Amino acid sequence: MKVARICSQIFFLGLFLFLFIKTDYTGFDTIEYAVNILFRIDPLLALCTMLAGKVIIALMAPALIILLVSLIFGRGFCGWFCPVGTMLDGAHHVLGRRKKENKPTRFPRLALIILLFIVVSSLLNFPVVGYLDPFSILVRAFSQSMYPAFNSLAVSFFSFTYESAPPAVNLVTEPLYSLLKQSVLPFEQKHYDLALLSFMMFAALFLLEFAQRRFFCRNICPLGALIGLVSRLSILRVNGGDSDCGKCRHCSQICRMGAIDDDRNIRMGSCSLCMDCLEQCPRQIIGFKSGFLTPGNHEISLSRRKFIGTLAAGAMVPPILNVRNNNYHEQANLVRPPGAREEREFLYRCVRCAECIQVCIGNALQPTFLQSGIEGIFTPRLVARTGYCEFNCTLCGQVCPTGAIKELTLEQKHRTKIGHAWFDKNVCLPYAKGIPCIVCEEHCPTPEKAIRFRLADVYDDQDRKVRVKQPYVVDSLCIGCGICETKCPVPGRSAIYITSAGEERDRDSFLPVSGEQGGGAEIY
Amino acid sequence: MKNKTLNRRKFLQQVSLFSVGLTLVVPRFSISNAFASSPPLSRLALVKGTNYGQITREAVATLGGMNQFVRPGDSVVIKPNIGWDRSVEQGANTHPLVVKALVEMVLEAGGSRVLVFDHTCNEKRRCYRNSGMEEVLGAMGRAVKLEHIDDRKFIPVDIEKGISLTRWDIYKEALLADCYINVPVAKHHGLSRLTLGLKNNMGVIGGNRGRLHHDLGQKLADLATVVKPQLTVVDATRMLMKNGPQGGRVKDVRKADTVVASTDPVAADAYVTTLFGLRPEEISSTVAAHKMGLGEMNLDRISVKERIL
Repeated sequence: MKVARICSQIFFLGLFLFLFIKTDYTGFDTIEYAVNILFRIDPLLALCTMLAGKVIIALMAPALIILLVSLIFGRGFCGWFCPVGTMLDGAHHVLGRRKKENKPTRFPRLALIILLFIVVSSLLNFPVVGYLDPFSILVRAFSQSMYPAFNSLAVSFFSFTYESAPPAVNLVTEPLYSLLKQSVLPFEQKHYDLALLSFMMFAALFLLEFAQRRFFCRNICPLGALIGLVSRLSILRVNGGDSDCGKCRHCSQICRMGAIDDDRNIRMGSCSLCMDCLEQCPRQIIGFKSGFLTPGNHEISLSRRKFIGTLAAGAMVPPILNVRNNNYHEQANLVRPPGAREEREFLYRCVRCAECIQVCIGNALQPTFLQSGIEGIFTPRLVARTGYCEFNCTLCGQVCPTGAIKELTLEQKHRTKIGHAWFDKNVCLPYAKGIPCIVCEEHCPTPEKAIRFRLADVYDDQDRKVRVKQPYVVDSLCIGCGICETKCPVPGRSAIYITSAGEERDRDSFLPVSGEQGGGAEIY
Repeated sequence: MKNKTLNRRKFLQQVSLFSVGLTLVVPRFSISNAFASSPPLSRLALVKGTNYGQITREAVATLGGMNQFVRPGDSVVIKPNIGWDRSVEQGANTHPLVVKALVEMVLEAGGSRVLVFDHTCNEKRRCYRNSGMEEVLGAMGRAVKLEHIDDRKFIPVDIEKGISLTRWDIYKEALLADCYINVPVAKHHGLSRLTLGLKNNMGVIGGNRGRLHHDLGQKLADLATVVKPQLTVVDATRMLMKNGPQGGRVKDVRKADTVVASTDPVAADAYVTTLFGLRPEEISSTVAAHKMGLGEMNLDRISVKERIL
């Protein structure tokens, strides 16, 4: 059984890694694999996004499967499927086993308190589930720090061999590099904000292993706590030892989830079905039995005071958030991906999974820090100086597991305005310096060109009169993709920049149009 | 193709010294004489027809056949325009059938290796795929490689004859090829009015390329002093007449079914300019390159052979 469990862990970890690498353009406009399935089956994310958004999200229906599985097999998900759990178990083997006794779970109620806080907050419109959901932490770390860092190391090494090593070495390293590029390496080096923060949050899970085995799972993980609540009613139960065991408490000592107490009762709300106790019991007395919808007597519970205290804590924050001077439609630098819902709805649904950030082939989507408030950390925004939204690409909406970014057809995407381009004429060379340029116009992808130019005479800084082509934006055509800002050759700050003005998803953010049409009246 | 071996050896030496870090200063790569000089009177072939492979072959045959440019065993670079994430009908990239015909001819002439690439403007994989290049070239065997730009292969080059552009990063493969064939697609361009052969050379350079726009005509001419294709084949099968260089609307594309070939890159640009109803002197890079002696822009000094298939 233990072998089966280990095989299962390795398989699903491998599957996760495979799907992660496939979260990319693979030659087709539609993504081939269900790369976001890990998030769609997450019942914690499903619950909280639906509570926050006050809506049923069909995309998250697969989460019911995990709840059903937990109803039958308890927290077997944690022991057999969860990639974070697998990695923590693997780390345990590397970090070395301790000879000393396995202490009981340090903060047994903390995970439940965190769960309750998150659920109450979601209900009251403070969407924080993505911060502590293990899958969000995992994929953010991979996407925004570890995978690009891995590539950076590989590229450094193979650049070194290419430039400095003798040809005999290159006979080996160059084919190896090609092979790695075709298989595990990303296609290009990408750059991300909050790389260090994402990594540290993930690394913390492993550092906590020094305090206690599966510390995160036992003490913090809100997903585990939710599954644990359902697991108390599980059909499959593990029957522990009895008083005939005498002084032996081997099961209790080796239990990685701290599910076995001194009386050898096994709490299904904690037991991850790792089978260690089953295999190692000297009396071989541990086995399965069945129960149904009757919780065991020894599960962790919150005292009434803790329960109400947590509710109160969760309820206190949202009203204060509403006082903030955080007018969403005035957030000029908060340009969301095409297909993003209106901001409040977006924040309720976005679980900070980084799938869109990972898949964005232009490296345009970056996690925000505080630009969208404390409840919006790690949500995606377009940073046009880093990358742009590729005109014919619709991948972000395809991978979003909650529909925070709607899936758009190509025709819809071509017409979706996410922001607007503005010229800084004090910097733009044809205006400010009489130097020809219009690289922006060259790259503007809309078939009718949202950037055009007109001839003008200006004085350059040598007082010579020159005739140059000066670019201007056609408001009705610009969709805010940002390629102009990416390619603007002016060093440092771009002479053309994208703001969220005029974004389609915000009814208050309209661009006044010159001439007789427009003024915004027609939207009411 | 005389003197090439000597300069190439010296060039490779300098490249490896620079790479190993033994020289701290960017060495001066004297490659201005590395490639063959053009024949005395500029010859140009123009072929019209609906079979793009056939008209390409005919155009090269008119100039004497691929054997004039490729010797057995040669390593050849073919540089089409694959810069944009656009389909074949949209006319923003070189037509894949034109490139295919050229690759076939190179292999028939004994070329041992054909490398095709472009430093794209849009996302690399989308460009290579949606332009049709991946599909066509993937089926042509192991001697043909469609390569994505490898950032390790850019090397800084001093452009000795450069007036406006005196140093820039250039893709190593373009400089080391035994034979370099430039295959631009003829289309409208906002800044330069048209983008033809000389502008297509921007696909082998790195760095912040937008900066070339600041004095585009002269900079392209300067670049042409070091990037000197033996053969220029202009794809005018589909001419993007408006909203170039990337277009997007099929109605902006004129189906002209024409291929123009020449050993003189300036003559090629000059003549194709007339197909758009413009005069050669209206394109600043043509004028600048002609002034530097890189080729002929006067139409009456270009010997044109036209064929309609």
